[in-house]
Amino acid sequence: MTDLRTNFAGIELRNPVLLASGTCGYGDELAPFLDLSRLGGIVTKTITPEPRAGNAPPRIVETAAGMLNSIGLQNPGLKGFIDDKWPYLAALDTKIIVNIAAPTAALHAEMAARLDDVEGIAGIEVNISSPNMKDGGMLFGCSPTASHGVIAAVRAATRRPVIAKLTPNVTDIAAIARAVVDGGADGIAMINTLLGMAVDWRTRKPILGNITGGLSGPAIKPVALALLWKVHQAVDVPIMGLGGITSAEDALEFLVTGATAVQVGTATFVEPGGAADIVAGIESHCAAAGMARIGELVGTLGV
Amino acid sequence: MNEPSPTATDVQVRVVATTEVAEAFFQTRLEVPDTTIRPGQFIQLRPRSEQSIYPFLRIPLSVAAVDVQQQTIDVLYEQVGPKTTALRHLAAGDEVGFLGPLGNHFPTPEPGAVPVLVGGGIGVPPLIYFGTSLRVHGYEPILLVGARSANKHLPDRLLAPAAADVRRASDDGTLGHAGFVTGLLHSALDEPLPSPVVYTCGPHGMMAAVARLCAERDVPCFASLEEYMACGFGVCVGCVVERANKESLPSPYGHYARVCIDGPIFDARQIVW
Repeated sequence: MTDLRTNFAGIELRNPVLLASGTCGYGDELAPFLDLSRLGGIVTKTITPEPRAGNAPPRIVETAAGMLNSIGLQNPGLKGFIDDKWPYLAALDTKIIVNIAAPTAALHAEMAARLDDVEGIAGIEVNISSPNMKDGGMLFGCSPTASHGVIAAVRAATRRPVIAKLTPNVTDIAAIARAVVDGGADGIAMINTLLGMAVDWRTRKPILGNITGGLSGPAIKPVALALLWKVHQAVDVPIMGLGGITSAEDALEFLVTGATAVQVGTATFVEPGGAADIVAGIESHCAAAGMARIGELVGTLGV
Repeated sequence: MNEPSPTATDVQVRVVATTEVAEAFFQTRLEVPDTTIRPGQFIQLRPRSEQSIYPFLRIPLSVAAVDVQQQTIDVLYEQVGPKTTALRHLAAGDEVGFLGPLGNHFPTPEPGAVPVLVGGGIGVPPLIYFGTSLRVHGYEPILLVGARSANKHLPDRLLAPAAADVRRASDDGTLGHAGFVTGLLHSALDEPLPSPVVYTCGPHGMMAAVARLCAERDVPCFASLEEYMACGFGVCVGCVVERANKESLPSPYGHYARVCIDGPIFDARQIVW
């Protein structure tokens, strides 16, 4: 048996497998298919200061080995989350990381401060990377200065570990990573979706109501691994790797490349119980390789 | 008929047979561990191995028939893309991933009401199962079916269990009423039917026309919607439809309803067409 326990930026995880923000809602809809206590944790769907309706449909389209989404952060807002969603999450036997986004650095900080009063939250993941938010998200994450500003504001407002979620839609992701670490990020999650588009040539219209969306699924795994490799070399904080993970082997590739933990995202849409299978697969692969602890694998890529 | 919806399960099931029932329309019979599925609910099939990643997402399909004795269900679909092509080519005995049943179900009409089922194209299948179930419960539904052409119409043997009174329309006039199925609905609602209730499934434009007609006649109308769908159980919030009564909702969070879990059946007056 390999010891799968993982410390991620001070968060004690049962194992290094979490569910990614936006792919597990607030836990309740997945519970019939997946025992959430089998996982290291879950990252909530992004919450914003006020409730949001989200983007006009169509919001989803399948593409080669993946999909585009332009959900647009439909969420109940901070108060709705605390009142209606948190009680269910609080009762789960797994670590809950709350993902936040806001139009300004100050509003990010206000959210983090308010969440500091809520007992049981394991960490704050800051969404500076959504391609579907016209007043935030990727607007911050594409600039080292803006990324630094948001993360520093959140860091100053909370006692909890702060994880910056990065966008791949940048020229130099290492520069963004250094900026968020300089701003006080305790960890990094990467990657959010790649900006993408689907077109119907017959109608000469985009498929998505929002015109563009975020690409996810197996199609983006090689991109995620390459960017993870860059960021792992650039900074010393732990990294949660995500992007197209559908199997235990995929997860192990991220760990070897430098991720301390991984998030399973789009795969859950197809295999709602799949993340637990990935935990079991990691366990059996590592045991077969004779590893005492999962940490022995992290960042061992030989080049 | 209004018991709570059964719990969904994520299992592998076997294909019994696939047959072509109209031009490019296929019927696949599946052997399932539990046939407890309410009319109007849907399933998500994964017609590939778990190791493969293409086609990646599952395919949401309604259920056209349930055989409790044989432990089988039938899905009817048009071969239009990679997933329906993969499903169509599965051989008897092959396994397919099955997630379901999902979503809500058609509401039962008041006793004595006449259900008028209005289907277009590949939207007809859930109405077959619903009509079959209604007849078991003593209702005498009328089934109105529209298709582009005679060769796109499902055969009588598939529709017969759903209604004794089946009326057909085709866009090109090759079978039944020449024109849209809404023409048939006009005529049906002109008849002195005791409390008609309309249930519809088909292309968006057709259902919008049916909803409009029902609103004009003050006839209740329930529509089974379709949207691009990823998960099918509520987490992705992708398959949404805009609600009509937005002013009365406490927050913009509820402006869009999820077709998969808040539907797929909606009161036609409660959504924006």
